[in-house]
Amino acid sequence: MSPSVQATDWVNKYGDILYNYTLKRVSDKGLAEDLVQDTFLSAWKNRDTYKSEASEKTWLFAICKNKIIDHYRKKSTSNVQYAEVDTSSNFFDETEHWKREDQPNEWGINYHQPVETKEFYGILDFCKKKLQEMQQSVFVMKYMDDLSAEEICKVLNISSSNYWVLIHRAKLQLRKCLELNWINS
Amino acid sequence: MSLLNISCKKATYLISKKEQGKISLFDRLTLWLHLGICSLCKRFEKQTGFIIKQAKHTHTEEKLSEEAKERISKVLDSSY
Repeated sequence: MSPSVQATDWVNKYGDILYNYTLKRVSDKGLAEDLVQDTFLSAWKNRDTYKSEASEKTWLFAICKNKIIDHYRKKSTSNVQYAEVDTSSNFFDETEHWKREDQPNEWGINYHQPVETKEFYGILDFCKKKLQEMQQSVFVMKYMDDLSAEEICKVLNISSSNYWVLIHRAKLQLRKCLELNWINS
Repeated sequence: MSLLNISCKKATYLISKKEQGKISLFDRLTLWLHLGICSLCKRFEKQTGFIIKQAKHTHTEEKLSEEAKERISKVLDSSY
């Protein structure tokens, strides 16, 4: 990174893509802005040490990913006892079978065909943000960022059984939310 | 046979373990038996499989507001 580079040029060039990336992984816009700002600030302070082996964009994304993971980590330490609660009992009756109102209904779509409408992604984003924080962290790290279960447990400082409960719960919630907002609307 | 009978709650939990390749042979068998007779859990498996495949696509484009850009630029300049 050349020291002569202007901060404004940098923010204009990479601000939107970093923000877009971050917003998909955290629950609100203010937080996403803060994380993007932190990313730029770290990068800015270290721009003399940046070697052009990786592209500037790759370098910024690496910093940004770490900021997001740090955020999940901090959040998890303040939330551990909350995450332990297995609230998936909502979806099942006392014999652990589906409650009528929570049963998966037929969606009438081809499950192998990707859906690429703006409407669908809007609803998926909305539903992801409705997840409890720990469920959201686990879901994003696993299914958007491809981290292993072991890595996720380490970052969030949770047990393996806790991880599976969070994954289970996140899927139950997301599925229901999509059915209500996308299929039934 | 009751040992091989699992509930829908257990089955939906095991579906994720199977999907991530972390299921024991015994659990795999009980899940397979359950999915053979339970259309709701079978549907759950299909739908959640669809959701996670979709999760990686990111189509909506959100932009950082001009105010935020300006603020961040200022923060960077003042830290120089």
